[in-house]
Amino acid sequence: MSDLEQRLQALGRELAFPPEPDLAARTQRVARPLPWRWVVLAAAAVALAAAFAVPSARTSILRFFHIRGATIERVEILPPAQERSSADGLGRRVSLTEAQRRLGFRLLLPPLAVEPPVHLLEGALATVILRVGTTPVLLSEYHAQRYALLKKVVGNRAVVEPIRVDGEPGLWVEGPPHTLTYFSEDGSFRERTVKITGNVLLWTHGGVTLRLEGALPRAEALRLARRLR
Amino acid sequence: MVDRPLDEAELVERARRGDLEAWETLVRTYQGIAFRTAYLLAGNGADAEEAAQDGFVKAQRALRSFRRGAPLRPWLLRIVANEARNRRRSAGRRERLTLRAVDELRPGDAVPSPEAALLLREEHERLLAALERLPDDHRDAIACRFLLELSEEETAEALGIRRGTVKSRLARALARLRESLEGEA
Repeated sequence: MSDLEQRLQALGRELAFPPEPDLAARTQRVARPLPWRWVVLAAAAVALAAAFAVPSARTSILRFFHIRGATIERVEILPPAQERSSADGLGRRVSLTEAQRRLGFRLLLPPLAVEPPVHLLEGALATVILRVGTTPVLLSEYHAQRYALLKKVVGNRAVVEPIRVDGEPGLWVEGPPHTLTYFSEDGSFRERTVKITGNVLLWTHGGVTLRLEGALPRAEALRLARRLR
Repeated sequence: MVDRPLDEAELVERARRGDLEAWETLVRTYQGIAFRTAYLLAGNGADAEEAAQDGFVKAQRALRSFRRGAPLRPWLLRIVANEARNRRRSAGRRERLTLRAVDELRPGDAVPSPEAALLLREEHERLLAALERLPDDHRDAIACRFLLELSEEETAEALGIRRGTVKSRLARALARLRESLEGEA
């Protein structure tokens, strides 16, 4: 090793790094699906924190919410993201039968007059475009063991509310734009962060995580979710 | 792999099966080097913290695809470093690196004379300033390989380049750094 290389190593040992965050404790918090009553308590804590929030130096992550296959983080600044039109970036369009064959599970859908086309991303994330009146709504479904979502909402301006859909845990997200990152578990981390401007309902059904996105108020989103069979 | 625990493979296997305590042990083992790598690549503490946090969340979810028996540290560093580099690209800002305070001696540190300590500090300040003048790709290679003392393989993983490229990039970066230091003298 040259003299300069040794001097650089010595320099590295003298650098001032910011205090090391305790990521192990936080990762635990994200990973463990919370008992339902804890989720409710967490929401209450967020409301309380929001009420007494004091602007300070940027802290990366304020709070987590987690259901199987989806994590929501409250952050102070959103990551950069692309704007997404409804059907853009949702994957290849295939028939319902083909989608279900590749997904390995049956998609939950509302009663429809005709079989809808399905957008399939990486063979793991299925999205159907529905219409409620004239409002387009995206319904995405994925197996929680094969895919995951990481959603980021800004500080205390967005509502993140635990909710039940047919007895299963879910989360309602409403408010200013937030970002959504999909990532797969094949190790390649093909992921994309998009900016979402609509409201979102996330919930689980069996091993499947479902996501409704659109300009629907909470009651209508819940009504639609309960009609899925 | 200085800080790789002996029973890592077993911990990974348990974490893969959903044992959160095993995963927590692994995160605790590597969070220090992961955070420092993220800090040097992202360029500021807040982005580094977020990058390391998100990196570990993603790594946990991807554990099933992790090759059995492979060392975990380079794989984790790749994921966290990728998060960090993405953040720097988007944020485009970097805090200036600083030296730790003189009185922050760590256990086992030799205690130099005041004169020697002053000279050493000046030398480090000069080196740091020259390092900051390098283009990002050169600076990153030096930061990973020498400041963080990552292996060549880990440097390649962290920077998303091949091992051969690490060697050639380091050679160019060191030559440039030497020129810069000699130009000052």
